Amino acid sequence: MRDVYIIGVGMTVFGKHPDRTLRDLGGEASMRAIKDAGVKAKEIEAGYCGNALGSVLQGETGVGQNVFWEVGINSIPIVNVENACATGSTALHEAWISVASGLYDTVIVAGTEKVVMPKGSFLDVGAGELEVKLGEVFPGYFALLARKHMASYGTTREQLAKVSVKNHMNGTLNPYAQFQKTFTVQEVLDSPMIADPLTLYSCCPNSDGAAALIVCSRERARKARGKPIKLAASVLTTGIYDIQRDFTTWQMEKQAAEKAYTMASVGPEDIDVVEVHDAFTISEILHYEGLGLCKPGEGGRLIEDGVTELGGRIPVNPSGGLLSRGHPVGASGVAQIVEIVWQLRGEAGRRQVRSPRIGLAQIMGGNKDGDTRACTVHILSK
Amino acid sequence: MDKSQKNVRAETEDFVAVQPGLFDYPVKKGEKGRLLASRCRKCGATFFPRRTVCRHCLDEDGMEGIKLSSRGVIYTSTVVHVDSPSGIKAPYAFGYVDMPADNIRVFALFSSVDRDLIKPGQGVEVVIGPIGTNQENKQVIGYTYKPVRRRISR
Repeated sequence: MRDVYIIGVGMTVFGKHPDRTLRDLGGEASMRAIKDAGVKAKEIEAGYCGNALGSVLQGETGVGQNVFWEVGINSIPIVNVENACATGSTALHEAWISVASGLYDTVIVAGTEKVVMPKGSFLDVGAGELEVKLGEVFPGYFALLARKHMASYGTTREQLAKVSVKNHMNGTLNPYAQFQKTFTVQEVLDSPMIADPLTLYSCCPNSDGAAALIVCSRERARKARGKPIKLAASVLTTGIYDIQRDFTTWQMEKQAAEKAYTMASVGPEDIDVVEVHDAFTISEILHYEGLGLCKPGEGGRLIEDGVTELGGRIPVNPSGGLLSRGHPVGASGVAQIVEIVWQLRGEAGRRQVRSPRIGLAQIMGGNKDGDTRACTVHILSK
Repeated sequence: MDKSQKNVRAETEDFVAVQPGLFDYPVKKGEKGRLLASRCRKCGATFFPRRTVCRHCLDEDGMEGIKLSSRGVIYTSTVVHVDSPSGIKAPYAFGYVDMPADNIRVFALFSSVDRDLIKPGQGVEVVIGPIGTNQENKQVIGYTYKPVRRRISR
C-alpha cells in the first residue's frame, strides 16, 4: 500500500442553515478544500461523498453527484457513502483505499448533512428496528451505558457534565462551531433531563453543515502548496453484536484502535491531539478508554483531572466536538479530520494545541443488537 | 385490568402488534405471556425475534421455536423524559433484561418509571399488552417487563 496524504481541507460553519441545500453546503466545503490544496477540479480522479439522512429528510439521493457538480467535477467515478454517524469517515476510508492501492493519485472526500429538527423532537431514524418501535432513542441508549459505567466504576454525574463544559469552552474558540457559549457543571446538570443521567446539555445538537478533504499520493503531495499531512492509518470495523457483552466498552472500538496504532507504528502515548465521537458526554469518557488514552474505568478521572483540556497532557475535542461544534451526521467524521489537519499545521487559531505531531480521530455510527454498527479510527501525522 | 382487557377484545380490529411474530396475542386465559424465540439445534444460539436460519451455522432447517422464560433480570435501565418518535409517551423506561436460562439478553420497555424498581439486578416478568397508540389511532400491542418482588441474584 502507498502512503496517503491530505493536502486540502475545508468546511462550512456548523449550525442552522434552513435556507441552504445539501449540495450548496457540500459545494462550499469542497470549494474550500480544493482552493486550500491548490488543485484543479480536473486533476481530481474520484469523489467520495458522505450523506446519512438526505434520502429520509430531504428526499434526496445521489447527493455526491450534486455536491461535486457544484465545483465543476464530472465524468469521474463518484461514490455515495452512508454509515450512520461514521458516514463521512467511511467516505475517507474508501478514498484512502483508492489512493493507497495505487488506483488514483488525487481524490476528493465530502460529507454534507441537514438534520436540524423542530425544537424538542428527536431525529426519527431507524423506524424499522424493533428497539426503535419499542421506544429506543439514542440518548436513552447512551444513558444505559452511562448508568452501567457509573455502577461499575463510580463515574459521577459531575464528571459526565465536565465533558460538556470542556467541549463548549473549546467551541467558543472555534468560529466553525454551532455553539459559542460556555456552561458550568451546574448548568449542565440543571438543564432538562432527557434520559437519566443525560441532560439536554449532555447531548450533541442536530446540525446542518459540510466538510471536505483533498486526499492524494506522496508524489502529488510533494507538489502541494501547503504542508501535507500524512494519513498514517485508516481503519473501519463493524459491530461484533455480542448482545450479552459488558456495556461499558466496545470490543470493536478497541480492535479498530489497536489496528490503527499498529498501522501507524505508534501507541496511544504518542498521540498529541484527539477528536472523538462525543455525541453524548458519556461517549467521550468511553472513547478515552476504548482508544487506550487511559485504563478501563478511569475515563471519569481523566476528564476530572483536566488531562483532556486544551492545555492538558492530551487535548480531546479541541474543536468543541459534536457537543459544541454540532453534529451534521454525515459531515462530522470529515470535520474531525479537518480539525486534526488544522491542528497539525498549526492553523487552529485560539484553540491551537501546543505543537502537536500526531493526531487521532475516532467516530462510531448506528446501533444494532446493543452494539455499534461502524467504527473508524484515523491517525494523522506531520 | 378486566376493563381494559374487555376493550381490547371488543374492538379486535383496533389493535396492531408492534411487529408480527414476537408473541401470541391475545394471551390465552390463565396463561402467562411469553416471547417467541428460536434456538439453533446445532450451536444452541438463541434468537429473539424468531428467525428461520441460524446466522452462525446457516443451517436451513436447524432452528426450533421456543418460548423465552417469562422472568428475567434487569441488566441496565434508564428513564426517558421526552416522547419517542415511535409514539411512546414520556416518561417511560427502557433497558435490557437478561434471561440466563435462555442465554439471551433482550431489549425491554419497563412498566415502571420508578428508578428504585428498575435497578440492575431487579427481577422482572414480561407482560404482553398495549404500549401506545399509532398514527391511525390503533392500540399498539408490545411487551413490557414489570418488576416482581423477588430479586434474582446473578
